[in-house]
Amino acid sequence: MQQQEIHQFLEKYFLANGCEIIENKDGYMTVQLTIELDKELMNRPFYWHYVEKIGGEPNPMKLTFITDQQSVPDDVKGEIIHFGSPRLHQIFQSTKNLAGYIRLYENHQAGGGQQVPLRPWLGLNVKISYQCDRKRDIFKSLGLQLINGQVVENFHDHLLNVNLTPKIPDYSFTLSPLIMPKSGVFRIENLLKQEIVQEDHQWADEARERWQKDLQLLEHFYEDLEEKGESYDIEKKALQEQYEPKIKISIINGGMFYLTEKAVV
Amino acid sequence: MTVEIDFDPSWLDGFDQRISNDGPWGNWELYKLAIEVEKHTVIEDFEGLQAPKHLPQLTPLPHQIEVAKQVVENMNGKAILADEVGLGKTIEAGLILKEYMIRGLVKKVLILVPASLVSQWANELNSKFYIPAIAQKKSYVWEQCDVVVSSIDTAKRNPHRDIIYNQDYDLIIIDEAHKLKNNKTKNYEFVQNLKKKFCLLLTATPIQNRIGEIFNLVSLLKPGHLGNESVFYENYKKDSRSLNDDEHLKELVNKVMIRNRRADTGIEWTKRKVETVPIHFSKEERDLYDSVTAMIGEGDWLSSSQFSVMTLQREACSSREAVFLTLRNMLQKQESPTEYFQDQINKLIEKVNAVQTNSKAEKALELIKKIDDKVIIFTEYRATQMYLQWYLKQNGITSVPFRGGFKRGKKDWMRELFEKHAQVLIATEAGGEGINLQFCNHIINFDLPWNPMRLEQRIGRIHRLGQEKDVMIYNFATKDTVEEHILKLLHEKISLFEKVIGDLDDILTKLDFGNFEDYLVDIFGHSASEGEMKVKLDNLTSMIQFAEEMKEDGVRAAAGNSSIS
Repeated sequence: MQQQEIHQFLEKYFLANGCEIIENKDGYMTVQLTIELDKELMNRPFYWHYVEKIGGEPNPMKLTFITDQQSVPDDVKGEIIHFGSPRLHQIFQSTKNLAGYIRLYENHQAGGGQQVPLRPWLGLNVKISYQCDRKRDIFKSLGLQLINGQVVENFHDHLLNVNLTPKIPDYSFTLSPLIMPKSGVFRIENLLKQEIVQEDHQWADEARERWQKDLQLLEHFYEDLEEKGESYDIEKKALQEQYEPKIKISIINGGMFYLTEKAVV
Repeated sequence: MTVEIDFDPSWLDGFDQRISNDGPWGNWELYKLAIEVEKHTVIEDFEGLQAPKHLPQLTPLPHQIEVAKQVVENMNGKAILADEVGLGKTIEAGLILKEYMIRGLVKKVLILVPASLVSQWANELNSKFYIPAIAQKKSYVWEQCDVVVSSIDTAKRNPHRDIIYNQDYDLIIIDEAHKLKNNKTKNYEFVQNLKKKFCLLLTATPIQNRIGEIFNLVSLLKPGHLGNESVFYENYKKDSRSLNDDEHLKELVNKVMIRNRRADTGIEWTKRKVETVPIHFSKEERDLYDSVTAMIGEGDWLSSSQFSVMTLQREACSSREAVFLTLRNMLQKQESPTEYFQDQINKLIEKVNAVQTNSKAEKALELIKKIDDKVIIFTEYRATQMYLQWYLKQNGITSVPFRGGFKRGKKDWMRELFEKHAQVLIATEAGGEGINLQFCNHIINFDLPWNPMRLEQRIGRIHRLGQEKDVMIYNFATKDTVEEHILKLLHEKISLFEKVIGDLDDILTKLDFGNFEDYLVDIFGHSASEGEMKVKLDNLTSMIQFAEEMKEDGVRAAAGNSSIS
């Protein structure tokens, strides 16, 4: 993430959370936190507990973030934010926490008294991690139409081209799903698993080879001892945890999308 | 073969709830942002280092990046990092730790270091790597914090030991790991029974002595890598001195150990230039020094040890303030001092009062004006430090004090003041660990410590990675005093000052003859004659020279080979 992107990201995050951006200049911005966001980010539960107990005037904090030190005047003090800074990662985490589940409707422009049917879609964004003593992840976005079972890849990218709104628009009605959302999730789970099984898993074979090698060394090290002792078991377990290949699928976020027939083709 | 696939069901519960309660639903802008975040933080390759991208303020050296890459990609995260002193093993360990944390392979970490380095490690991980490392102080820390720094001596004792054995560590880092060379010790056993998924052992002197020591170290990291004990000792004689004798063994060791030598790194080290500045006492100063010296022969009115006399002698070479403070303490410490004792002390105090100037301080002032750049003055005595600060101020030179006892924040503040506002830093202790003073390249040793390691640390403050100029060292030595002898020994005999960082460390560990300072006290304090003193000094010198030669031989033998010495 470039510093410029980080700046834009922060801007969007705070605006989406209803904060006022008091100052927004090249290289830095000052934000007035809302009470909710102060609680989310500032980690001062005692203060909030106290204010609420005595009914005091809540005073959420103002924060200044510096995204480019070069272009900031000397008198501006604030937190320097870069891709590795803990604050940014806290905000990353918060973004994911705050937007785990969603329900949106297509804001279509159909007029003239005609009722438009909206079809239910389940959208899931997932991370698939391939892990042994090393790790790689991939990101996937899938959509499942809950009436006919159609599956669409890169679903999120499709959604970005659709005008969406949290309230059902006028002249619209939603079609009831034939597939329950929960079973939809299982369908996607199975689909992903089937795909993964088809992949080439050389990485896992190599990890197992490394594991075997180290295991043989370990056996050799202890072979003369009658009582192998605790350290042998510990070491053996550690090798398993270090090398055993595993694949983990986790859902980043997802939800229900009610779309017109033409929205996703 | 199939791989186990695990689908995390936790999201589904929340989804179910929201479906039945009709909300609450998230905000579309945030939802989109979350995906953006994910796309930025997903790491699509097994290979390559992510950590540097996360650490814009840190500029690791090429060899440090290379080490991190090697350990993660080719050594499966188990390695002995054995770079020579001063090449930044801590940085390498930090990079590896950061890499694993970013990739989500490591969460729970135990870092075992010498007690004196615990807070420094915690600070560096926090400030340089944004890793929330905690120095262990309370016992709940083991369980509640993910990255804990502790000394091995604390960790191995109960109640800590039991709690630690119950933790599931992903990575264990051990600094100064050569201390674990003996597999019969409690420390060794403690570490052996830790679960080590990933493990880094840091040491600058991995193979000092017996070949058995390297066997023990490697077996800690990767049991069986060098075979089991009986087979190993069948193949390699137990007391074999050098690893270089056996190509096969060396190759095996190199699979788990990385050692960079200063010469290989391509880093240009600047030179050290040493100048001895002879100081001539004024009449009154000479009188004071002589009177103190006379006490050695004077028998037992002075009940305290030889050490006080030597201290007084050395202080007399530094400043009258230092002498006065010690005298006053001596007087106060006696519960009911005899009249004679009081008398003698008072006589000395009179001599102190008679001294009106400080020849060294005058010389220092002259030198500082001539240098016309930043200067660090080291002195052994607080009283001298305070006097110098006053004296320089009188003469229009700005200075800041620096002591080992300062809190971290104050140290940093003083460093900053020195860099931006003051010309001189007056320090009593070199142990300002981790404080970088590379922007300065002039040191005045106002008086000399008797421990060569301390001297090495003093110089090491400015002669380190990042120093761009040659380092100038000015040693003040007062003519016809004990100081002159010391300087001769350190400078001319063992050419201490020209050595590069770390050499001395190697030599002194090799000698293993205990406390250098004790030797000096013995030589200067207990020698009956000038002649005896000379013999003893020569003796010490040749011991050190012998160790040096041993070291050089070792280097020569390894020169044609790969990374092990």
